[in-house]
Amino acid sequence: MAHVPLRPIGRPLVDVGLSPENAQQIAQKDAALEAKLGEVRAGWGADAAARVHEKGKLTTWERIALLCDPGAPFLPLNSLVNWGRSFRGSKRLAPGAGVVTGIGTVAGRNAVIIANDNTVASGSWWPLSPEKIERAQQLALRLRAPVIYLVDCSGLFLPEQALSFPGRTGAGHIFRMNSLLAASGVPQIAGVFGDCIAGGGYMPIISDRVYMTESAYMVIAGAALIKGAKSLKLTSLDIGGPEVHVHQSGCADERVPDDPTAIAMIRREVERLPTSAAPFYRGGTEPAPPRFDPEELSSIVPADHRMAYDMREVIARLVDDSLFHEVMADRGQEMITGIARIGGLYVGVIANNVLPTDHPDEPGRMRAGGILYREGIAKISAFSRACNEDGTPILWLQDIAGFDIGVEAEAQGLLGYGSSLIYTNSTNTVPMVTVLLRKASGAGYYAMAGMPYEPVVQLSTPLTRLAVMEGRTLAIAAFNTKLDDDFEIASPDPAERAKIRAAMEETAARIESDMDPVAAAARMDTDEVVPLAGLRGYLVGLTETIWQTPRHSRNPRIWSVHDLEVLTRNTGRAAAAAGVKAARVVEQADLAEGEVAVCVSTDGTFWRRASPRDPVLVEEGADVAESTTIGLVEVMKTFTPLKAGRAGRVVRFLVGDGAAVQAGTAVAVVG
Amino acid sequence: MFRRVLVANRGEVAARVVRTCRRMGIEPVVLASEPDARAAWLQGPEAPEVALLEGAAPRDTYLDMDKVIAAARAHRCAALHPGWGFLAENALFAARCASEGVRFIGPSPAAMRRLGNKIASRRTMKAGGVPVLPGSEGVVGLAEARAIAEEAGWPVLLKARSGGGGRGMRRVWREEELAEAFAQATAESEACFGDGGLFVEKFVEAGRHIEFQVMGDQHGNIHVLGERECSVQRRHQKLIEESPSPAVTDGVRAEMVAAIRRACLAAGYFNAGTVEMLQDERGRLWFLEMNNRLQVEHPVTEMVTGLDLVELQLRAAAMERIDLEVRPQGHAIECRINAEDPEQDFRPAPGRVHRLRFPSGEGVRVETYLTEGDSIPPQYDSMIAKLIVHAPDRAAAIAKMEAALAETAVEGVPTTIGLHRRVLADERFRAGNYDTRLLSMMGI
Repeated sequence: MAHVPLRPIGRPLVDVGLSPENAQQIAQKDAALEAKLGEVRAGWGADAAARVHEKGKLTTWERIALLCDPGAPFLPLNSLVNWGRSFRGSKRLAPGAGVVTGIGTVAGRNAVIIANDNTVASGSWWPLSPEKIERAQQLALRLRAPVIYLVDCSGLFLPEQALSFPGRTGAGHIFRMNSLLAASGVPQIAGVFGDCIAGGGYMPIISDRVYMTESAYMVIAGAALIKGAKSLKLTSLDIGGPEVHVHQSGCADERVPDDPTAIAMIRREVERLPTSAAPFYRGGTEPAPPRFDPEELSSIVPADHRMAYDMREVIARLVDDSLFHEVMADRGQEMITGIARIGGLYVGVIANNVLPTDHPDEPGRMRAGGILYREGIAKISAFSRACNEDGTPILWLQDIAGFDIGVEAEAQGLLGYGSSLIYTNSTNTVPMVTVLLRKASGAGYYAMAGMPYEPVVQLSTPLTRLAVMEGRTLAIAAFNTKLDDDFEIASPDPAERAKIRAAMEETAARIESDMDPVAAAARMDTDEVVPLAGLRGYLVGLTETIWQTPRHSRNPRIWSVHDLEVLTRNTGRAAAAAGVKAARVVEQADLAEGEVAVCVSTDGTFWRRASPRDPVLVEEGADVAESTTIGLVEVMKTFTPLKAGRAGRVVRFLVGDGAAVQAGTAVAVVG
Repeated sequence: MFRRVLVANRGEVAARVVRTCRRMGIEPVVLASEPDARAAWLQGPEAPEVALLEGAAPRDTYLDMDKVIAAARAHRCAALHPGWGFLAENALFAARCASEGVRFIGPSPAAMRRLGNKIASRRTMKAGGVPVLPGSEGVVGLAEARAIAEEAGWPVLLKARSGGGGRGMRRVWREEELAEAFAQATAESEACFGDGGLFVEKFVEAGRHIEFQVMGDQHGNIHVLGERECSVQRRHQKLIEESPSPAVTDGVRAEMVAAIRRACLAAGYFNAGTVEMLQDERGRLWFLEMNNRLQVEHPVTEMVTGLDLVELQLRAAAMERIDLEVRPQGHAIECRINAEDPEQDFRPAPGRVHRLRFPSGEGVRVETYLTEGDSIPPQYDSMIAKLIVHAPDRAAAIAKMEAALAETAVEGVPTTIGLHRRVLADERFRAGNYDTRLLSMMGI
C-alpha cells in the first residue's frame, strides 16, 4: 500500500457527453456569473480608480497583480459578499464588501492575501467586511499559510456601524484573529498604503513586519476628531504618518517611497520564509493535468438538477492524470470514496453517486442515487475518519438530495448513522474542502461537510441549489395540513383550492430564488461561486496551500484507509451479490414472439415526458435504438433516463404518465 | 545501480536491452506475451527470466499498463526499461510507474508532456532558439490556416491534431485548393479520430529527415550526440539510417547542437531523446517533433561515438552523473531487415524461419532476437533484425554493408534484404545526394 494503485477513470466525451444545449445553458450561467464578478472587481468604477491614481497610489487589484508571481493565478474568495445589498447612508452598493481576499502565490509560497478595496469608499468596512476578513484569516490559521495585508482602510462605514461593530464577529474580532495567528506562529506581513483609521490602524500592527508608504498613516482617530486640528492645520498624515510611526512610535518597521516598493519589500520578506513542503509531499511525482479536460464538465453535469449523471466522470476531470484509487467500491454504492492526487498531492475524495445503484439486501432492486442510505453513510463516516487519522485532506463533492426518508430509513436508525457522520466531520482536524456541485439539500448538505461544519473553503458552481429542501417539497411540508395522502390539496372548495395553490406556488418560488448560488455567496453561506471548468484551478491552489507547510500526515504504508480497505475487501459473497444486476429487459410469458418488456429498476414515478408541457419522449409504434430514452423514472426529484435496452419498435406502454412503479415493474413492450 | 530491471518490450528491442543489462551485472526480466514466450531466445538455462503476460494482442499485453506494472512488482524490479514503441512515450504510464514505486527509465512525465506534445514541444524548442517549421501554434480554422499559409509560403500541409498514419493529412499547393482540402481533411479526421481539429504546417517537398540524439542526466548535464540521416524511407517508414549525415555541415551541426541543448535544459529534460528535424531544399533544418525515448536506429550513433546508449539510460535513471567527451569517428550505416514481401507491396509476412545466417567481423553488428527455427508472430512489428556497420568513411561503410548483406541469409520468410542492396547500389545514394523521395524515384 505504500504505493497507492491509482487507476485510470473516465471516458472520452464522445461516449459520455450530453447534448450541446446543456453546455450552452451552463455557458450562459457562467457568463452571467462572470459579469457579476467583473462588476465586483470594478469596485466603484473608473472614477474611483482615477482618484486613487491621482494620489500616486495603485488600486488594490493592481497591488495584488504586482504582489503575485507572474503567471500564477490569484484565487479570490467571497467575491460576491453583499451582492445586491444596499445600505443606509450610501447610494452605492458595497461590491465584495470593499475588501479582496484570496490565495495568491508570492515568491513560490501560497499566501492568504487580504486587501482593502481602495476603490470602494476608500476601503471602508461595511457589514460583512469583518466576517470576510476573518474568514480569510481563519483559512490562514487552519492551513498555517502566511498572511499578507494590503491595508488601505478609512475605518468603519459609520451609518451601518451597528451591523459591523458590536457583535461576536464584529470588526474587533479581526484583531483577535491577528493575535491568534501571531500566537500560532503564522507569519503576517502588512503593507500600509493609505488611510488607516481606527480599525484600519489596528489591523497591520500585530503583523511581524509592517511597511508604510509615504502616503500612509495609521491613527486611532483621524484629524477630524482631534480638537484644534483645524487651527493647527494638522492632517492625519501629520498625526500618524511614517514620520511618526517609523521614526517615533515604532508602530511600523520601515518607510518606503511608494506602492511598488512596498510590494517589492513584502515579496522579499516572503522569500525569507521556508519554501513550500509540497514537492516533498508529492513523493517524487509531479503535478499533472487530468487526461480529460475540465472544460468538458459542462457536457458531463446536466444543468437540469433533476437529471442524473456519472460522478466518476466528474472526478476524472478534476484529478491528476484522471487517476483514482477507489476504496470500498462495492459497499454503499450510492457514495464514492477514494484517493487521488491533485497538483501531485494526495486528497481523499468523497462524492455522491447520482446514478441508481443496487439495493444492498434485495438483489434485483435498485435505488436512486444522490441520497444518503445506511451503508453509504457508514462508508463515508469511516472513510472521513480514516482520512482524518491519516492527515489526508478531504474533498467533498456534493450533489445530494438528502437522507433517505420513510419507515425503513427510520427503523434502520438513519438519525444515528447521520449523527455518527456529523460527529466525525465536526471533530475532524484535517482540512476539508467542500464543493457543492449541484444539489445541496437538507441534512445531506450538513452531513457532507457543508459550511456549518467548517470546511476550510466551500465552493459552489452556477448550478448549485443550496436549501433545506427543494421548493416544491418545502411547500408540501408547509401546507401539510391542507393536503391529502398524495400531497394533493384536500379542500373541495374551488376558491380555497386556488388560494392554497397560489400560496404553495409562492412559497416554492421564494425557495427557488433563495437557492440561487449568488444569493448564498452574498450572505457568505458559500465562499465562492466558481464555473465548473474553474473548479480544478481552485482545487490545485487549495491542495498546494494545504500541503505547503509540514503537517500531520501519514505515509500510505500506515494509512487507516488501507486498514479499512483490507477489512472491507470484496468477499466471495459480496462479489456474488454485486454480480446479480437487475435485468433491465426481461422476457415475459404474455409477450408475443420477439417482444420484450422494459422494466424499471428503482421504485419511483414513471414519466413519459420531460415536463408536463413537453411531448412524450417516444410514441407508441416508434422505432427505437438500444440507447433511446423511452421514459424517466423519478425518485426524490431526481430523474433517471430509462433506455429501451434493445433496438426495435415500441409496441405499447404498460403504465401511464406519472404512474407509481416498483423495481421490476414492466412499463413498455419493445418488439 | 539497479539490481533487477523489467524490460517492458519484446523481440529485438528486448534482446538489445537485455544485453546491456547483463554486461552491467543487472538481472533483466523480460515481458513476454503468450506467442512471444515460445521464442527460442527465451528458452533454456541461458534465457533471461520471463514475466509472462496472458494474451497476444498488443493492447492485452505490452500496452496493458496494469499488467506491465503488476509484472514489474511481482518480479521485484526496481526499474523498468520501456524500449521503444508500446508504452515508451506514454506520460501517463511513466507517471503511474512513479506513483507505484517502479522507476521508469526515461524522462520525467512532466518533461514528456512538455516535449512529447506537438504544440508544447514547438513552443519549448522555439524558446531555446531551435528553428521551428513555420505553421500554426495549435488547431486553426480555415481563415487562420490561409493567413498562416500566406506567411509560411505555399505549399502547406494540413495535419489532424489526433492523427497518424497519414489520415486527415492533405498537401495544399496553392490558395485556391485550400478550402476544399480543409473541408476534406476535417471530415476525414472527424471520421477517423472523432476530432476534426487541424494544424497547418509548411510543406517541404524535397526534404531530408535528420535527427539529433539527446542524452541527459538528472544533474543538469545534457549531451547532444550528433545526428542521424534517416531519409531512406518507404511510406514514412525508415529503412536505412546513417551517421553522420552527408548533408549536415560542421557549422550547422554545432549551431543545432547548442540550440537543442538549451531547449532541453530549459524543459528539464533528462535520459534519452531524439529531436527530429526536416532539412529543406536550401539546407535549412526545421524542428519537427521530439521522441522521448531511445530510437530503433540508435546503434548508428553508438557505432560512431563508441557509447552504449542503453547503459547511459540506466545510469541516468539511477541518478548517476553522465559526463562525456564525445568525438564521433568514422561513418556508420544501419539497414533494417523486415519480414516483408517485396512482391506484395511489402506486406508483413510472418512465418517460420528455416535457415538463418548473419554476418560477423570487425565493425559489423547484428541486432536480433531470432534463432533458426523461430516463428515470427503476426501480432507485432515486422522488423526482425538490424545490420549495422562502421568504417572510416562513407564509401568504406557502404562497401562493408554490401558485404554484410551478401553474408546474410533468411529463409522461410521474404525480407527487405534485396531492397537494401538495390538502394546501396543506387548512384544517388552513393553520392549522398538524396532525400525522402529516393525510394519512389527508384520506383519502389
